[in-house]
Formats: sequence, C-alpha cells, structure tokens
Amino acid sequence: MKADFDPRENPCRPRHFKPAPCGPLPAEGPAKQSLETSRTRLVLLGALFCLAFAAIGVRLVDVTVLKDPGSKIARAHVRPHVEHARADILDRNGVKLATTLETPSLFANPKLVQGAPEAAAKLAAVLPGLNRAELEAALSNKERSFVWIKRNLTPEQQFEINRLGIPGLFFQTEQRRVYPQGRLTAHVVGFAGVDNNGLQGVERGLDDELKTSDDPVTLSIDLRLQYILKEEMARQIEAFSAKGGMGLIADVDTGEILAMVSLPDFDPNDRAEVDSDATFNRATLGTYEMGSVFKIFNTAMALDSSVTTLAGGYDASHPLKVGRFTIHDDHAKNRWLTVPEIFIYSSNIGSARMAVDAGIDRQRDFLGRLGLLRTPSLELSEVGEPHYPREWRLVNTMTIAFGHGMSVSPLQMVTAVSAVVNGGILHRATLLRHPDGYRPEGVRAMSQRTSEDMRRLLRLVVEKGTGKFAAAPGYLVGGKTGTAEKVDGRGYARKELLSSFIGAFPMNQPRYVIMISIDEPHPNARSAGEATGGWVAAPAVSRIVQRMAPIVGIPAVDEDSPEIRRALLVESAETPGRKFAAN
Amino acid sequence: MSALRPSTLLWLAVISAVGYGMFQVKYRVMQLEDQLARVNRSIDADRDDLRVLGAEWSYLNQPQRLDQLRQRYLTLVPIQRAQQGTLDQIPFRPGEQGIAPQAVPPRPSAPPVALPGGASLASAARGGNR
Repeated sequence: MKADFDPRENPCRPRHFKPAPCGPLPAEGPAKQSLETSRTRLVLLGALFCLAFAAIGVRLVDVTVLKDPGSKIARAHVRPHVEHARADILDRNGVKLATTLETPSLFANPKLVQGAPEAAAKLAAVLPGLNRAELEAALSNKERSFVWIKRNLTPEQQFEINRLGIPGLFFQTEQRRVYPQGRLTAHVVGFAGVDNNGLQGVERGLDDELKTSDDPVTLSIDLRLQYILKEEMARQIEAFSAKGGMGLIADVDTGEILAMVSLPDFDPNDRAEVDSDATFNRATLGTYEMGSVFKIFNTAMALDSSVTTLAGGYDASHPLKVGRFTIHDDHAKNRWLTVPEIFIYSSNIGSARMAVDAGIDRQRDFLGRLGLLRTPSLELSEVGEPHYPREWRLVNTMTIAFGHGMSVSPLQMVTAVSAVVNGGILHRATLLRHPDGYRPEGVRAMSQRTSEDMRRLLRLVVEKGTGKFAAAPGYLVGGKTGTAEKVDGRGYARKELLSSFIGAFPMNQPRYVIMISIDEPHPNARSAGEATGGWVAAPAVSRIVQRMAPIVGIPAVDEDSPEIRRALLVESAETPGRKFAAN
Repeated sequence: MSALRPSTLLWLAVISAVGYGMFQVKYRVMQLEDQLARVNRSIDADRDDLRVLGAEWSYLNQPQRLDQLRQRYLTLVPIQRAQQGTLDQIPFRPGEQGIAPQAVPPRPSAPPVALPGGASLASAARGGNR
C-alpha cells in the first residue's frame, strides 16, 4: 500500500502504520481448498530443499573431513614434464655424442616489418651467411605474412636479434638433433632426419629405443680411442695417398667395440653435400677379401683340428699349381717351412697346403664357428653379409686359406680374431656398453691351447716376421699383416690393394684387438716402393698402442723378462740348421 | 525496536570470520599457484639450459680441439714407457725396513726421468688415466 495522500484516511495516522493485510481466513469453499494446496506444495518444496542441503552437507563433511586430500590436489598443479622427442647418445665415459636441443628459429611477418632495407642490413650483420639483397626482397614482399629467415639459431644469435628490436620478427622453438662430436663418430652414431626418424648408424639401429625411452643410451665407444684411431688412420691415408680406410678397436673379452672409424667420413650436423661414399660404413657394411690376415684362421684351424702342430711344416719350395691357377709367395723363401715360418713369412703356398691337409669340411666348419659365414648382429642397420662360395671346392679351400675367394666385413674379422686370442671364446660384437665387470658368456670356437699357440705365433710375426713395424716397446703387440689385391671387374688388380694389419696386445694376456685397413694405398718415398699391410697399416697400430695403453691402464712391461719370454716362446720356430733371414 | 539478538550477533561474527578466513586461504592459494607456475617455468628453462650447456661442453671437449690446445699451450705428451714403473722399483729410504739403501738398487730399465717443462712424474701420471 502506498503512502500517498488519501482523503478517506486519517491524515494524522503514523505513516508506517499498516492495516491488517486481509480479512479472516475463509473457513469454507474453493478459497480454502486452494490455500490447502499451496501449503502442501510449500511443505514439499521445503522438504526438497532440506534434502538438497543435507546432501551438500554430507558431501562437505565427506570431502573436507573424511577424505584424505592426499597428492591429488598437489599433482593437479604440477605441469607435466616436457618430453624430449629423442634420447641422448653417450660414449662409455658419458660424453654426449648426440642430443636434442630446443632451438629458436627466426621468421618474419613482412606486413609488420617497417623499413625493410634497414632491417635487412641489421639482420645480415648479425647473421652471417644471409644474403642481404635476398633478405630485403623477402622482407619487402607485403603479400605474404610468413617468411622463414633462419632456422635453428644459437642462443647468442637470438639475443643479438632481440637486441636489434626490429618489429615484425618472431621466434619459434623447434627441436633439433645435434651431434657435438661431429665427424669423429659420424658412422657409429649416424644421424636422424628432420622428422625425428633415425636414418643411419645407432640412430637408426636403436631408433625405437631412442624414441620411447627418456634415459640416454650409453655406447661402448671410448671417444679418446676413437680420436686416436681416426687420427693415426688419417695420417697413413695421407702419407700413402690412399682412397680411404677402416679401423676398429674391440675388447677381446666382452665383444665391446671401443672405436670404429670409416674414412672418408662426413659431418652429421651438415649433410647438405654428403655423398654416398662418405656415408658408407666400410667397417661394418663393406665386405672385403682380406688377404693374408685370414691365415690367422687357417693356422688356428690346422692347429685346433690337430692336422699339424707348431713343430710341423710344409714344402713351399715351388709355386703351387691348381687347375689354371698358380699360387705364389710374396715373401718367397723357396724351401720347406715350419708352421710358424709359414705364418710369420705369410707363405701362401704353405697355407694352401695346410688347408688342403685339413680338408674342405673342416675349413668351412671352423670359419662357421668363428661367425665368418653368417651376417653378424650389431646395433647398426649397416651390417654387411659375408660372401663365400656356394659350392666349396678344393680350389676355394686353397685360396680362402690365404684370404681370397671369400669376403667378410672388418667387424667380423675383429670378432673372430678376438676369439682366437682370448682363449677361444667367440663373443657377439656390441656397440652398447656392458656394466663394469660384466663378462658375457660367449661360445667356445676353439680350444684354449690353440688360442695360446696363436698368441705366440701372432707375437712372432711382430717380433721377427712381416709385422715388425707394429712393435710398440713394452706393450707386447702381436698381429698379422695382410695385403689383398682388390677385385677389379674380372680379375685381381695388382696395383689396387687393401693393406691391413690386425693385432692384439698385450700378447701374454690380450685385452684389445686393433684392426686397420687402408684402401688403395700407393707407395711413397719412404716406404721402399711398398704399400703392403706391414708398411701401411702396421706402423699406425704401433702408434695407436703406445697412445692408448696409458689411457686404458695397461702398464709397459719388460719384454725380455724371463716370465714373458717363457709365456710367448715358440720352441720350434726355426727350421733346424737355419737362421731367420729376417733377423 | 529491540537490539539484535545475541545469537544473530554470534552468527554474524562467525560468518565474517569464516569469510575472512576463506579469502585469506584463496589469496594464499593463488599466490602459491603463481609461485608454482614460476618455479615450473624456471625448471623447464634450466633443463633446456642444461641440455644446451651439455652439448656445448661436449663440443668444447672434442678430442681434436683439446689436442690442438694441448699443442699450443702445454708441454704434455702421452706417457712414455720410461715414465712408468712399479712400486718395487722405488728403493726404501735409508734406515727404513731395516734394509740399507744399497741393498735395493733401482732397476736399470727404469732410469729417473726428467719431464719437459719440469713437471713431476706424479703430476703427469695423474692426468692420464680416467
């Protein structure tokens, strides 16, 4: 009711006085009925509200008092950890070989750029390698609103660009795979493409693991040894004007590859001008007729199958005629040779006779046990398949005895020679680091005795035979030289050689196998017209041993001490009544 | 008009206290959330920095570069055979262990070595093996 002036009311009545709102409640009739209905509805509504409040109350007590708030609330606020697309690759000492970085990339919106010439000049000053004229043209093109200027900048470059304060320039973060060691581990680590797929090397071989795992992958490679191996190989390649080379260092007891080099190499960070020859991994994918280094296996086979002993010998006085082939000796002695002499002077005739004595089946079986007849497994996709005659005839047996007519990869050579010197156990080669002290089981390939005899023979080659340049005072290097003529279309090319040395040290208890092959070396002024394994590869092995021994903790010993003399003595090395010409 | 009933007063007080408390908690939570977001951002940034610095560390430690620096600034060379020896090659001091110094002459195969630059044998050996 309004407090307006009403002449019918008493003007003296207090303004806030209100008459009773309505008359007495009707006792009967439809009015009463509608009131009843309203009341029922009210009660019902009230009950509903009560129920709702009760529910809320119960829930409140439940949430605040009864329920343990626990970690749920805290976790809701923590941002999920940003996953990096690809795990790191480390060497055995934890040095990064491959890592993923978030790098800023610079792009421009030309519509927002004012003063394109000036901006282009400033940018070109900060980012060398950009063409100023092209940049100016790109920035002046007002049609477009997005132009990449440079991808993957360094933090310094980003800072410099920010300092220029040019409007219309923006950064976008991109992930980029970086290989801090560059060329040094190019063939081992390989590389991944822009879409984060591994394309070569470990990046491809362990692609799934690198993509899914957050933990870095630790390789068996030791970067220091990798550097020593590469440097010494590069030195020989240059000195002998060679085409390339491959080298490996492996632990004989575990099968771990400590260094693996293939030259020429490439920069995995800049693959714009990489040719297929540089990316080709000669150490694992290439298979070669290895030449005389195969006599290691031939001699071990003859000794292990008791076809002959260290005291035995064969006639090498005349070239050996087989069908239309004639087998000659490169270091011909033209006389009867003992088994140690055949080995240290690398007699093809003697080796072939030894193999014939043992027979085709024994030879094939022995090479199979050393893993030379099957494709090896390694954490790389580039693994070559060995080539050997499908139909193994006597002539094949004779040529395989000195390393022709069968081609294997350097990786297989290193694995097999490890088994020859480590006591006869063949271990699978691996690029992944084993835990300290772990000794994988391996398979026995020959007797302990054969292995010990082979150690003596390999040592003798370096002491008195074709491998004298591999000697490293105090470190008891042993090994075998090999000079293979490369297959050239139809026949063998006399001038195109593959000169190798494969050795181990210290020979009284071998720990490491080193192999170096130099591809197509040419004689130089100091090598007396020679480009053989003994002249090209052996000196590099000597220097590598002297540099790596202090790093891997192998002490130099006195080579003339009685214990070592006794351990490496070959009693029947000399033909009775004759002196070594090499002495 | 009578004064407010005591119970009403009480409830008013309770309501204001609870309201005050609630806003206090709310502001504190907002503050903590800001702080958490800041810390998370800085963790992310540090993590990225670590990756960049790790890559740079590896890059700067390229064996080839270290070798060049070594040639330029140091006189260190790989440990030579003559620099190595065993403990039993070192004679006891006079009077110790009851053995006269003449009793254990140094083996001729390991003469005392003077290293270039006057470095001692011990310091050269320390850097070599890892």
